[in-house]
Amino acid sequence: MLETMPRLLCYSRNRNTSVEQIDAQTMRSTCRLQDTLTDAVVEILVKLPDLEIIDALGEFRRTYQDECRTPAEGVKKVIGVRVGPGMLKIIKGLVGEVSECRQLAFMIEECCHGIILAFTKEELAQAPVEQHQNVEYYQKMIKNNIRLYSRCAAFAPGSSMVEGIEPPTK
Amino acid sequence: MLKFMRKKMISIYRKDQDTLSVHGILDDDIYSLELDLDISLADLEILSIRGKWNRWTTPECRRSDQFLQEAVGFRNEEGLSQKVHKIIGRKSCRHYANLLLECWHSAREAALVAQWEAAKADRPDLAFEDFLAGKPASLSEVRTEVTGPRIEVSEGPKPKTKEIKILHEKARGGTLIDLHVHTSPASPCSSASVDALIEEAKRIGLDGICLTDHNYVWSASEVENLRRKHGFLILRGNEITTDQGDMLVFGLDNDIKGIVKLDDLRGKVEQAGGFMIVAHPFRGFLVVGATQIGLTPERAMERPLLKLVDAIEILNGKVTERENKFAAEVAAGLNLPVTGGSDAHEVDEVGQYATQFFQEIKNEEDLVAALRSGNYAPVVYRK
Repeated sequence: MLETMPRLLCYSRNRNTSVEQIDAQTMRSTCRLQDTLTDAVVEILVKLPDLEIIDALGEFRRTYQDECRTPAEGVKKVIGVRVGPGMLKIIKGLVGEVSECRQLAFMIEECCHGIILAFTKEELAQAPVEQHQNVEYYQKMIKNNIRLYSRCAAFAPGSSMVEGIEPPTK
Repeated sequence: MLKFMRKKMISIYRKDQDTLSVHGILDDDIYSLELDLDISLADLEILSIRGKWNRWTTPECRRSDQFLQEAVGFRNEEGLSQKVHKIIGRKSCRHYANLLLECWHSAREAALVAQWEAAKADRPDLAFEDFLAGKPASLSEVRTEVTGPRIEVSEGPKPKTKEIKILHEKARGGTLIDLHVHTSPASPCSSASVDALIEEAKRIGLDGICLTDHNYVWSASEVENLRRKHGFLILRGNEITTDQGDMLVFGLDNDIKGIVKLDDLRGKVEQAGGFMIVAHPFRGFLVVGATQIGLTPERAMERPLLKLVDAIEILNGKVTERENKFAAEVAAGLNLPVTGGSDAHEVDEVGQYATQFFQEIKNEEDLVAALRSGNYAPVVYRK
């Protein structure tokens, strides 16, 4: 049967997170959100080597949620937090103390993920192109960081990436 | 110059009266993947899901597609985000999980727009804000609140007995304690019932364990009952999340909720005459490569948080040997006391690491006094 109805979008969203190196010791991560209901930007500055958040800014230009209209106090709560494992709980907890704007906490998290992924990209740039060497590269990475074992389908038993690697000691 | 960029794009249309069709794309410098979902408008249930990889890091990334089906049936309910991270993030791929949540949250807002559109049939001039003002219930309905765990001490499943290799010879007259364990449901991330964990600790020859559930205080009577029931040394601690990371706290009865500032916690611990140990201080920090971020033990020693703690956990079962070694180097440089604990979240993890005290410990007062004395050492106890 021919479809006669146009499939018009009832909702659309774009989220963009970008990471820049400001100077040798400072990185800036910015998350921009634009969707049918919201237009917002959140930015964090992170200092190396501790990956400590030294400044944070947020602005909601358009939102239907009253709790998101004044993000300044909430976003500043994360200053001093370090980007790394365990940060999500800390960010949600700190922002949640003063703001019920969940989008704000999520955008800060996205900024932090961007920082980590920027380093991951640098690390992965070292991976060899040849398939067998590529597998060896990841196997070595898992051996060195055994916490990665079974962290996703690619690193779970049955995958060539973990072939011959002992599961973490329990 | 940009070091990294991630773009996510979500497009939603009404497939029919009851269903939203959601298309999501995640495209960044490392990965490119897509999701197609059908989501019911009534309760935001995921009716179908299909994934597609365009770019990936390992040839095995595409194994994650098959596990996406486990998301079918997820709906607007308490703890949905955690469920997606735990099931899709762990079994499939965390980038799929990230995109799935983006799609689902967008669908939640699309449903709100659809409700408004429906309301406009009767009132064509109804503004979106007015619709929201008149329909507070529709907003609260789509929120997924997470409530704290309720503690019930139950038998739980019997632990599987497993062959173990003891690597540490206990000190005569001393007390060997796993200072860092988590039980379910006090710690939502743990799957070990307290009874099963205690029985396993007894079986492998530990002298005691310290219950350090996340921001949860066991009552003295609960713990006394457990001691009697199992004939085993059970002590109370607490793993408290601060703005500077997780702290193991002993001798503090305060029920602390939310995220506390580290210096505030320090004040509370001092007031109570307690003891505070920074848990797994470098967990994950070496995954991206310490050299990339320029982190050396010397630089790490300068962290202000290390001036506020009494000791450093240098053997933790949830971090890599490299991270434990790094923590040990930092502790040695600062001349801080060091401890060990399994950070067990499952029964058979208890006792991997422990702390050997060289005196007898019978209760919590003894424990805090012993911690203050510095007369102990972290040990690798079992394999």
